Amino acid sequence: MPELSVILAGFGDALAPINLLFILFGVALGQFVGAVPGIGPVMATAIAIPFTFGMDPLTGIAFLVGVNKGGLVGGAIPAVLLNTPGTPDAAATALDGYPLAKQGKPLKATKMALFSSITGDTFSDIVLITVSAPMAILALRMGPVEVLGLMLLAFAVIAGLMGQSLVKGVVAIALGLMAAMVGTDPEHGSPRLIFGNYELYDGLPLASVAIGMLAISELLKRLSETRGTVRPAITLPRNQPRADRSVSWAEYWGCRFTMLRGAVIGTILGALPGIGSTAAAFMSYASARQASKEPESFGKGSLHGIAASESANSSVMGANMIPMLTLGIPGSVSAALIISAFMIHGIQPGPFLFSQQGQLVYGLFGAMIIANLINLWVGQLGLRFWVRVVSAPEPFIFASALLMCFVGVALASGGLFGIGVMLVFALLAYVMSAFGISVVVFIIAFFLGPRLEISLSQTLALLNGQPQKLLDYPFALVLMALALVTAVALARRRDTESETR
Amino acid sequence: MTLRKTLAAFAAAAGLFVAGVAQAEWAPKGNLTLQIGFGAGGSTDTIGRVVAKVMKEQTGWNVIAENKPGGGGVAMFAGIANRPADGSVVGLGVNMPILVNLVNKPGELGFDLDSFDYLGTAARAQLGLFARADAPFDDVAGLIEYAKANGAAPLAFDAKPQELAMRQVMAKSGAEFQFLSTKGGAENLKLVLGGQAIAGFEAGEHLPFLESGEIKMIASMNNTRHNYAPDTPTLPEQGYDIYVDPVFFFAAAKGTPEDARMALTEALAAALDSEEVKTVVMNSLKSPIENMGPEGTEKMLRDGLVNVGALFGK
Repeated sequence: MPELSVILAGFGDALAPINLLFILFGVALGQFVGAVPGIGPVMATAIAIPFTFGMDPLTGIAFLVGVNKGGLVGGAIPAVLLNTPGTPDAAATALDGYPLAKQGKPLKATKMALFSSITGDTFSDIVLITVSAPMAILALRMGPVEVLGLMLLAFAVIAGLMGQSLVKGVVAIALGLMAAMVGTDPEHGSPRLIFGNYELYDGLPLASVAIGMLAISELLKRLSETRGTVRPAITLPRNQPRADRSVSWAEYWGCRFTMLRGAVIGTILGALPGIGSTAAAFMSYASARQASKEPESFGKGSLHGIAASESANSSVMGANMIPMLTLGIPGSVSAALIISAFMIHGIQPGPFLFSQQGQLVYGLFGAMIIANLINLWVGQLGLRFWVRVVSAPEPFIFASALLMCFVGVALASGGLFGIGVMLVFALLAYVMSAFGISVVVFIIAFFLGPRLEISLSQTLALLNGQPQKLLDYPFALVLMALALVTAVALARRRDTESETR
Repeated sequence: MTLRKTLAAFAAAAGLFVAGVAQAEWAPKGNLTLQIGFGAGGSTDTIGRVVAKVMKEQTGWNVIAENKPGGGGVAMFAGIANRPADGSVVGLGVNMPILVNLVNKPGELGFDLDSFDYLGTAARAQLGLFARADAPFDDVAGLIEYAKANGAAPLAFDAKPQELAMRQVMAKSGAEFQFLSTKGGAENLKLVLGGQAIAGFEAGEHLPFLESGEIKMIASMNNTRHNYAPDTPTLPEQGYDIYVDPVFFFAAAKGTPEDARMALTEALAAALDSEEVKTVVMNSLKSPIENMGPEGTEKMLRDGLVNVGALFGK
């Protein structure tokens, strides 16, 4: 722990006008690009990095952190207002956010997303600032076998989202895992299912699959439903009572356990590199539904559903910084981009960072807290703007959203090939929803598949053909047992639910 | 103005002058696209973006950096090989994945080493084998002994050539290694620090831990020693005649007109010589700029093809 003077000097640096200005600029930019369907915060950060070459290290990094945090808040906006999440981690937010917006309460839905996002984010920032060192040691202890156990647990929890038909749920998971298998086999290094397309060597481009399945298919469906009369994309009733426009303190406080659970899940998954915010959002959503006294309200505009998803996906960001700052290990693409910004300025995260660059680190922590406050403020203003934007006629909104998705995917995945993949998966999603197969379950399986496979391959290498060696990993066994218990509990619950029906 | 900034200004001015001469002869019609064979956020991306930025400042050309991920650059170079050779697109890639694919799938990629005009190299990635400081060995011979004594030793790797090199060590020594495939150097480092792997491959991420004494270097996997560890011998020096030598290089489509090729080569050389590019590359890669020039780049790739062939036993 550095001296108090260093900590205070760091926080003081964060308050310098130039830094405040760039945090504000970053947050506003992040919210804007996050809210435009198709261009996520990752792409925005990648584009913003060259601009930070000439800045002071703290200014540059604070700016990038602002872009990221703003993007997390912004990402929920199209998910809630149009049911077109631009990034898969906002897909869970759409499950309840969109129904609420459709009931004529778009401001309430987006505000709940904003408040829970910032709550989750602040929680993980506090964990980062206070206990990052012990958390990092815990993360190191989580070896391949433990991560495999955690992945199995994640799959078991998320299986609760499969819907009524077990068979269709399994079909969705199998298809998702199959799509995840495209690309180089981690074990043997040989390409799988690429059919001669070297663009697929690193796997299907994530942005293309996510935007194609989540956003494009929805936009096409909605465009095809447009019949003669031109309606606004979302209707704001006139003279709406205040309760339908805002989130009351009682409503917010009522979600405190949901948000706390989400923030804890997000922080744990975020501290472990490579699992990501999508899994966190869905795990939190699924467990909030299981814990709820009224699980049937989920999917119909439940505030708890929005709170669960947003608190979890936003808390991943702060927690990603734990392995990043202490071990130099990025937990996600955004964290990898921020590391490269550090390194460009000659600062290498790792064991000396806190002792050699204490002032910078605490400056960064200060900037993160300030960014949260600015996020709240800009978000409040921005939400009104976006709700007004989407009350424009449907054809305008959908056509421009479609265009932005094309641009975003072309930028993120290197041109027309990515767009082709996006259209194929949009079609697949359309067919899947026509048959009642969950697109969301497909997406989760697709995003978790590679990590599941690589931890399975590492585990098999470590076991070296001797299953009894599993006994050397007690914590992994606990996780696997938990996964089994969850799966059995879900199956029994499913049985009782179908009997009562 | 500090001395460093003055020097940087001079370097930039000199770069402007050189590029200015080149520009008088040739300039791209419209944009010059610098394609990067990897996604955003990695070391290739960082190099590409800073080179594009400095080139734009020095030459006044509209240089655009564009990510073309896929197959470690194979997708990008296949695209470049099939482009008209008008000097409007330059590719930045890493030799190893290209050579590995050329060795294993000759004739299937849509290009070979004759499909390009080579413009230069940016730097060499210094790849090494590392173990935790408390490991009971200091070199490859010790690692082999440890593996034999414990039945097997888990190694973390993130690219096929690393595994193949160690498989050759395995075949020659009779020790057994368990190969943990990972997504990158950072994950290798995590497994080594966490004790799940006894040794792992690193190309830069590990330096603070080397400095802090938490890990130690077992061997350089390049065919040269590393600038930060001149006392640690290479794998060939330790008795195994095999190495992995990743180099970042620039190329354009074969048959690019002489004047365009010269102008691009000079503009790249000037950008690589700037303080800004030197600093960014040194900071992110921990390796100095190493521009082998057009002939040197081509020779490096042709020699590399033979070496990678040996790695795959072909």
